[in-house]
Amino acid sequence: MPPALIRDLSDTSGYWAAVWTMCAMPDVHVIADAPVGCFNLVATAVPDYTDAVPHIENMTPATITEQEVGGKGTSDKVRWTYDNLRASGALDGKQLIVISTAESEMIGADLSSVVATLGEGTRFYWSNSLSEDEWAGRDRVLRWLWEQFGAPHATGMQPVPGTVNIIGPTYGCFNSPSDLEEIKRLIVGAGGRINLVYPMEATLADTPRLAAAQVNVVMYREFGAGLAGMLGQPMLYAPFGMRETTEFVRELGRLLGTSEQAESFIAAEKRTTLRAVWDLWRGPQGDWFGTTDVGIVAGRSYTEGLARYLGDELGMKIAFASARPRRPNDPDNDTIRQMLHRRAPAFVFGSINEKIYLSEAGAKFARFFMAAFPGPTVRRAVGTPFMGYRGAVYVVQEIVNGLYDTLFNFLPVDQAYSMMRGGPPKIESAPGNLPWSLEAKAVLDEALEKLPYIPRISASRQLQMQVESLARERSLEEITPDLVREALASSGI
Amino acid sequence: MEPIALSAEQTQSHPCKLHPQSMCPAFGSLRILSRIEGSHPVMATDTGCLYGLTFVTHFYGARKSILAPTLGSAELYSGEIVEGTRAAIEAAAREPGCRLVPVVSLCVAETAGMPEELLPRKVGDAEVVLVRVPAYAIHSHPEAKDVALEALLRRLGDREGPREARTVVVVGEVFPADQLAIDAILRRMGVEATIALPGRSIDDLQRAGRATALAPLHPFYKGVTRLYREWGASVAGGAPVGISGTYAWLKSIGALLELDPALVDQVAEEERDKAQAVLAAKSLKGARVLVTGYEGTELAYARLLVEAGAEVPYVSTSIGVDPLSLPDELWLKARGTQEVVYRKALEEDMAALDRYAPDFVLGTTPFAAAAKERGIPAMYFTNQLASRPFFLSSGMAATIGFVAETLERAGRYRDMVAFFAE
Repeated sequence: MPPALIRDLSDTSGYWAAVWTMCAMPDVHVIADAPVGCFNLVATAVPDYTDAVPHIENMTPATITEQEVGGKGTSDKVRWTYDNLRASGALDGKQLIVISTAESEMIGADLSSVVATLGEGTRFYWSNSLSEDEWAGRDRVLRWLWEQFGAPHATGMQPVPGTVNIIGPTYGCFNSPSDLEEIKRLIVGAGGRINLVYPMEATLADTPRLAAAQVNVVMYREFGAGLAGMLGQPMLYAPFGMRETTEFVRELGRLLGTSEQAESFIAAEKRTTLRAVWDLWRGPQGDWFGTTDVGIVAGRSYTEGLARYLGDELGMKIAFASARPRRPNDPDNDTIRQMLHRRAPAFVFGSINEKIYLSEAGAKFARFFMAAFPGPTVRRAVGTPFMGYRGAVYVVQEIVNGLYDTLFNFLPVDQAYSMMRGGPPKIESAPGNLPWSLEAKAVLDEALEKLPYIPRISASRQLQMQVESLARERSLEEITPDLVREALASSGI
Repeated sequence: MEPIALSAEQTQSHPCKLHPQSMCPAFGSLRILSRIEGSHPVMATDTGCLYGLTFVTHFYGARKSILAPTLGSAELYSGEIVEGTRAAIEAAAREPGCRLVPVVSLCVAETAGMPEELLPRKVGDAEVVLVRVPAYAIHSHPEAKDVALEALLRRLGDREGPREARTVVVVGEVFPADQLAIDAILRRMGVEATIALPGRSIDDLQRAGRATALAPLHPFYKGVTRLYREWGASVAGGAPVGISGTYAWLKSIGALLELDPALVDQVAEEERDKAQAVLAAKSLKGARVLVTGYEGTELAYARLLVEAGAEVPYVSTSIGVDPLSLPDELWLKARGTQEVVYRKALEEDMAALDRYAPDFVLGTTPFAAAAKERGIPAMYFTNQLASRPFFLSSGMAATIGFVAETLERAGRYRDMVAFFAE
């Protein structure tokens, strides 16, 4: 068996996980034992477009070149980099951590002993980048940070009643500013106080204080539970949808001894924030949910959360759901691509990979929502959460607006305008004046069956007109199956 | 989320090249390979590399699905690289309309060893072309474009068919309107056809083997240049940039292709008059500009800005020193440019920012950000300059106009600093 094929990789490596987790804390400086590319992609080219930062400033490469690969090894380069960083003052007040990369691992550069001879306290982190993905990687980095910089200084520290840690956001976590804002709001609403948001809003020096929280909220099911397990206090996952969020607030209130406040927060939210979902449900918009299908490809939290909320709570059809990292029966990208080429659901939540597959398929009836990396997107505004009560409102609002847009795109435009732009041929007369053979009608029905429900009415009218116009051009008396197929091919449906 | 930094923490005037400035070199090759119609790249590399390069290729290259074999420690150490890569090639060749499978071999695969003789040369209708671009050996992404293009031409260039007289291969990624303008002016001089590479068409790559002359517009196409010299084709140095550059370039093409000298003179002089009219209409006099991108085209841009009246004391680029860039370097140094830095690092650019206090910076994203933190108008060279015309008089007008407009907006850059400092 040859090694498994990867189509459009969705998950990056343990090296990226290490940089994106550690460099979130300003009192860390990382030396990456890396060729120029591994430095540029991780520190500049990609975080420009995932986190909207011009570059990650607290990271320096040891810049592996031919000499290092050719047998010299990277120790001297790392030492040179360290000496010059130290001389420049860039390491003042910083904890230095040296990280391995796939290439340094490939040439067997274990720098544990070298690093011990650099400045006192300098650590080496083996990122295991040839084997570990970003999810396992982030989980292990967080545990390692606790072991190295937390636990030894936390002896005797007791949890303070009413306090909560949020464990999760690093660089490269899709939509985390909005989700974090909402989770903080829910915690405060339930009667809690935030102790630490780790690592994104913490310093490395804060690490021992992780022990001071009464409850740990883990933002992602993909990673972070390992650290929460080591801390030993009760743990909750960040919630999606109305029901799960209610359970979350209720459970948090119980754990913190603030149940009364939690219940009154839930009641108030139903009257205020969630009122939008209630109104849309009672209104004409809600009627569409049951006939709208959705495909989901995202991080495990997002995939499971969206499937529960949109599928179980709102009753939408979940055409497919594939988590990152993939669960045992989740379709891989090859399968997802084939599904999208065959028939795309009305809505696809995904990464740029799914967006590309929709482009390849020419699926102009499907609407795409960015819900995962990879893919360039700015998500720094804090008003676009997917998690929590506000997430429940935001997601359903996006879907309804998507439906409006789909409808708009199928309303007829007077053809005089498209003629001015050299558009499609003018349709001479109203449809329905030429007889269709049963087989021809069946071909049309089959094509329409592949379309999402919403645009079917408009699309069927449009296709019917195109076919009949073609028939008239050729002076045919009856619509034949071949004619329908020809019109379908040229319409891209 | 990271707070917005108000001042650069980077230590200035530091002599060491600690933070080299290039995209991942391999990106240069993937960009041009993914944009070719009917090309389905296979990448041989680890997952971290694959993720990052696919990300930037999907941003800057093409909406194209990219295949790779799984190459983790298990596969690398057990020698399954070839087996995995072959399987990926087979899958890529099954894509509809596939005519080309470029195999992009990266750091870990090159370190482990990727024997070309064990890969197929052809699968079905698709040519399989190995492109070796380990970042540790290529050093900059412009140079990886050259590596990829040379590999493609060596395989696909048609050397059997009859030579096409008076046909010029114009090499360099340029704005589409530039390509049309260059083609038009060369035809007016008597050139029969131009072939623009890198482009979207495999047929162009094949036809490029039959051309009489090569005109590399950018100074990093050294492998392609070497190949055309091997093929016995003429090579025109320089590029149609600015007044003097354009004039010299047109004359050199005329001489190489033995075109009618009177006609060449007439066209070159007309173009020079037009360029002079552009300069008369808009000058950058009094503006001090640092040109510090990593595209390998920085010297030519600096040259244009100097002709337009700007002072350009410092130019830096990611590519290495090469005879192809020497004429521009000498030209610049004779006209006030004090430093031209190759294989530059952020530290060198930052030192220049202190030393020259520029009015405008064209730089990499970290450097442009540092300049903006000081209230200096700054832009990402790659995104802003690649998206507008540059060559011949029409390109001069667009580029000079863009810089002049940005200088007029300088107040906004200062206001933004003041706002975030409050």
